[in-house]
Amino acid sequence: MKKNEFVSQLSEFCEFENENFTLETLFKSINGYDSLAVMSIIAFVDENFKMSLTASQLNKITDFNSLVELIGKDKFEDE
Amino acid sequence: MNNLQGKRILVTGASSGIGRAVAQQAASYGASLILLGRNKERLKATYDSLQGSGHEFYTIDITDYTRVDEIIRSSVATFGFIDGFVHSAGIEKTIPFNASTPNLFKEVFEVNVFAGFEIARLLSKKNIVNPSGASHVFISSVSAVSGEPGKIIYCSSKSALTTGIKALALELAIKKIRCNCVLPGCVDTDMVKKLFASIPIEAKQSIINKHPLGIGQPEDVAFLVCFLISDKAKWITGSEYIIDGGYSS
Ligand SMILES: NC(=O)c1ccc[n+]([C@@H]2O[C@H](COP(=O)([O-])OP(=O)(O)OC[C@H]3O[C@@H](n4cnc5c(N)ncnc54)[C@H](OP(=O)(O)O)[C@@H]3O)[C@@H](O)[C@H]2O)c1
Repeated sequence: MKKNEFVSQLSEFCEFENENFTLETLFKSINGYDSLAVMSIIAFVDENFKMSLTASQLNKITDFNSLVELIGKDKFEDE
Repeated sequence: MNNLQGKRILVTGASSGIGRAVAQQAASYGASLILLGRNKERLKATYDSLQGSGHEFYTIDITDYTRVDEIIRSSVATFGFIDGFVHSAGIEKTIPFNASTPNLFKEVFEVNVFAGFEIARLLSKKNIVNPSGASHVFISSVSAVSGEPGKIIYCSSKSALTTGIKALALELAIKKIRCNCVLPGCVDTDMVKKLFASIPIEAKQSIINKHPLGIGQPEDVAFLVCFLISDKAKWITGSEYIIDGGYSS
């Protein structure tokens, strides 16, 4: 998956309202980023990257970029 | 005290948490155990911790029903009839509804529900179960009767188990096999450690706060399970027992 596809697929999966997110969008600025969204992110990453993130790891992420780093840049295709 | 002298009990999920505590307590009351679990090291640790003799352990995925059947038959041939079954193996998933696909339902139901009923079926056969009677205890959850966000799959699997045993109890009464469910609240085991790691801190605190007597210990649940296996519970079948430190009150 490419990073920009990741941003759009994850946003769609979490049902975030605005659709024009970038890698720099801060999660906290998103309307609808709540505890269920955190569970959704964990489920999305588990399903797509076979990786179990913890809630405390997710507490530390700021924007989509930091989530990409947490998952590992090598897991993404070049743009 | 629960007297389980001379009883042979098969326990799934014996490598960890509630299943391990049930095995240890049942052995201390005189039962001999057949332990099933996947993790060899942890299963062996349970086996090594048991008092008494005549125990066996098998590293196995309990959804491999052919192998489970072979184990049961060979154990009965060597040691005699089965007097009880405790289905403690279970998996928990915290998945929001928008991600709860049929495959995830199948994965959880396979262990929590299908394996429980299938092993009960194999164990309830003539020449396997003690003709004077037996007791099957299924570890359900308080989630069978109450919800939490992200728990659609888990809650429905535990409900299926809890209601299913009522039908089972009616069918198996003729063989004097009693079937009951235990519905624990939050118990301090690996499952809960994993759950707490996967949910936000506020969600974790809210679960803890909902238990007026605090989080339970595996032994708290094991004591009730051992009572239900024992002959003192001979008039109890088709029932569900909530043990949750006040969570559902
Ligand atoms: N802890 C709680 O708060 C709580 C509350 C309510 C109900 N429960 C229920 O209590 C039961 C025991 O849970 P626990 O808290 O003791 O959890 P745990 O410590 O995670 O133990 C789960 C056990 O299930 C076994 N298991 C899972 N899938 C299996 C499979 N396919 N084949 C063989 N064994 C399998 C595991 O074996 P391996 O590790 O060897 O694979 C492990 O021994 C579960 O049914 C759970 O739903 C727990």
